[in-house]
Amino acid sequence: MQDESRLTEQPSPTEAPSPEDPPSDEFVPETSTADKIFNWLAGLPWWAIILAVVAVAVLYSMFTSAAYQNVIRFLTDDPQRSTDDLFDVVQIVGEPAMIIGHFTGETQDSVESVITELLTEVIDSSLVTRAGFIEKETPATITVQTDSGSVTIPKDRIKRMEPPDAAVGSDVEISYIDRVTVTGTLTERDDDTMTVRTVDEEIQTFATARILNEETSVIACDKNADPDCTDREVVTILREGEIVTGTLTTLSQTGVSLQLPDESTREFRRAEVEYIHVPTLTIALNEAQAEEPVAEGQEVRIGFVDGTDITAALEQLDQLEDIPVPLRYSEGSARVALVSYPDIKAALEATGAGDVAGLVYLDAGSERWAVADWVDANPDAGVVLASEPRECTRHCEITVKMNDDELTGTVTARSADEISIRTVDAEYVVIDRDKILDNRRMEPGVCALNNLRGCNEGIFLTLRVTFLAYGLALAIGLFVGLMRVSNNPVIYAISTLYVEVIRGIPLLVILLYAGFVISPWIRDHTPVELSDEWEAIIGLAFGYGAFIAEIFRAGIQSISRGQMEAARSLGMSYPQAMRHVILPQAVRVVLPPLGNDFIAMLKDSALISVLALPDLLQFGRLYISRTFRAFEGYNTVAILYLLMTLFLSLLVRLIERRSRLPQ
Amino acid sequence: MNNGVEPIIQIKNVHKHFHTLRGTVYALRNVSLNVMPGEVVVIVGPSGSGKSTTLRCINRLETIDGGEIIVDNIPLKGARNINKVRAEVGMVFQSFNLFPDRTALGNIVLAQRVVRRRRRAEAVDKAHDLLAKVGIPEKADSYPAQLSGGQQQRVAIARALAMDPKIMLFDEPTSALDPEMIKEVLDVMLALAKEGMTMVVVSHEMGFARAAADRAVFMDEGRIVEEDKPDILFSSPSHKRTKLFLSKIL
Repeated sequence: MQDESRLTEQPSPTEAPSPEDPPSDEFVPETSTADKIFNWLAGLPWWAIILAVVAVAVLYSMFTSAAYQNVIRFLTDDPQRSTDDLFDVVQIVGEPAMIIGHFTGETQDSVESVITELLTEVIDSSLVTRAGFIEKETPATITVQTDSGSVTIPKDRIKRMEPPDAAVGSDVEISYIDRVTVTGTLTERDDDTMTVRTVDEEIQTFATARILNEETSVIACDKNADPDCTDREVVTILREGEIVTGTLTTLSQTGVSLQLPDESTREFRRAEVEYIHVPTLTIALNEAQAEEPVAEGQEVRIGFVDGTDITAALEQLDQLEDIPVPLRYSEGSARVALVSYPDIKAALEATGAGDVAGLVYLDAGSERWAVADWVDANPDAGVVLASEPRECTRHCEITVKMNDDELTGTVTARSADEISIRTVDAEYVVIDRDKILDNRRMEPGVCALNNLRGCNEGIFLTLRVTFLAYGLALAIGLFVGLMRVSNNPVIYAISTLYVEVIRGIPLLVILLYAGFVISPWIRDHTPVELSDEWEAIIGLAFGYGAFIAEIFRAGIQSISRGQMEAARSLGMSYPQAMRHVILPQAVRVVLPPLGNDFIAMLKDSALISVLALPDLLQFGRLYISRTFRAFEGYNTVAILYLLMTLFLSLLVRLIERRSRLPQ
Repeated sequence: MNNGVEPIIQIKNVHKHFHTLRGTVYALRNVSLNVMPGEVVVIVGPSGSGKSTTLRCINRLETIDGGEIIVDNIPLKGARNINKVRAEVGMVFQSFNLFPDRTALGNIVLAQRVVRRRRRAEAVDKAHDLLAKVGIPEKADSYPAQLSGGQQQRVAIARALAMDPKIMLFDEPTSALDPEMIKEVLDVMLALAKEGMTMVVVSHEMGFARAAADRAVFMDEGRIVEEDKPDILFSSPSHKRTKLFLSKIL
């Protein structure tokens, strides 16, 4: 390090060239990069420039053609990986029924051509016009019967309606936005939903009564970056989940939908709901009278527990298709007597004693199973259940409590009963996956040097195997190379044997040995199990180790004997002299051939596809076997390898230049 | 000569031969030489006479086939701590053998750090002192390729001195230099001799020998032919072979 820093300081001002002192190479006045490039271009013959232009044109047309783009995307991009997290995505949400009819065809075409065009098209065509007659209207939606079926349109998405005041049953033409675009970063994904963190700030207004806890804190600004900035005060509010009461319309495993008092419907997903109170009806009967029908003129005594909503309970009872016979009070001229009991136990004991014919119990809360539990626990009390407790499935009032959530932001307005907060943190929007029409990754969600996570396993594997195998080969080569210059005949013989044997066997055979002979042996005889990747790395490393050993040996031997003698005469031991004097010089000598082997290894890493590893070449072959486009497939594979080797070649040249000694 | 002080280098009946394709070459035949502490000995002789080999044997860069060499009371044969002996014996080569990938300073610092285990600051201070002593303090950050031959050889001397050796061996230190650079190297060596360093110098520089040496040794065909004070040896050699050699080089 120290030496290198001196190296760059070389043209010191005190040694500035004087006129009579002819300037050496180091003192050439600095020319600008643009001038250098221009001079270099001017020095080229005319045909080289034409060739370069043609080459660029060919490459450009290749990589803008759809066929090549498909291969490249297949070979490099990893859609799974690149949309998995932290990349900008656009989710287009709408009604699934419409996508199938409306967009699939276009999407198919667009994917074959250019992505950006598709995006524009999608936004333009999201305004849909339908003609038909109004079938039904609710405060929030309009259902229109068209030739192709009925469509329910949320009113807030309607852009134009002709005539504007059309009533139910009349013809109408409606233009509306049939999709919503959510732009943000994908943060989570499961089978049903995707969560997108939106980039936009949002203002939320809600009742102050819902504030459970409020804390004011300060976000300190970075005074170093901006001295004029001011600290920002933010409030963090723990907001009590909204409690919504409405008439149940559907109840399923994933969610619940309610009809609110204002006739609008609202859906809740189970994940965002803390609890749902669904009324459950339990009917207990006196065992002796369970099958006894209501006699003419008889008084039907029905028991209740205090606090039960008797009207709702009777309504529920009436709606049952199989009302228990002793409770069919509405038949004939029976009279009803409603008997109230202070608690469940008293009510049930009275039922068992025959005081009432049956007990009707309706509860939405945690006690809704209490009657059934008591009957199960007291089988001898003379009480039986008419049927299993029934959850209300529709047309009953239910209460949904949303989860409490935390909100951080700045207060924009605050009144006695309402508060508005502009969120600082981005919102997280959860989208049902089956509602997503289309899903576009934005740049840089594709495989690129600044976004390696968007690349697929093929390129990664090729690079990873090459780098690891090369590192290992360097270690082996250095070790064996040192053995090759040893004076000890045994060490020399062993290293020579290794070099000669490995150098004489084709690399492909060595790889097959590593994969199918050595790896199984290790697996059978040791607790270690090598992955396919390590088999390939070890095979390549041992194969190349022999060549690299010879390079190191030649490099060490190229250093004059005097260097070793000088080091030894200063009292250094042989290893010290090797480490501090010989090797640093030898490495400089062998850098070019080592770089050569590095590039050769990247190319030879294509051989690992014989071990069924999904490297770049394997991906290419997979693509070709699916599409039979061998020409484009292998062209692209070749060009991608070429790009990687050119890049490495530049890297090697840079290292060589940096390690050059001053002359 | 022998006033109660032990010789620091004792070479006793040393034999040395090389096996080459053309047969065995006898480099040293029964060579015996003692060097007292503080003594400066100049070895002269024609090419192939064994002068350099003698020097390299003292440093054990060559092994010997017979006889005994004792340096600073340590017999070299089979010495386990040969690196310790070498650290006490500085050597300057005809071809300088500076480490080309290190600056002058780096050359001087390296062995101090690796062998003497000195702290960097200490080693660098010493290196600067020594560069000043050999007269090129401004070249500390120059690489060997940027130095003239004389400057390189002076860095090599400084490098050897940095180990605080008890003995300095010079193997034709000026033979590879242009005549105008010889003097700057000899001046450094002369100063060193005046400080009382024990030196064994293989050189044909008669001026240096006369000015600095306590003793001159003439070798030929692997034998010590004669030794005496340099003035006497150079002006009135007793041996025929010495006369012939001196007549050629003077």
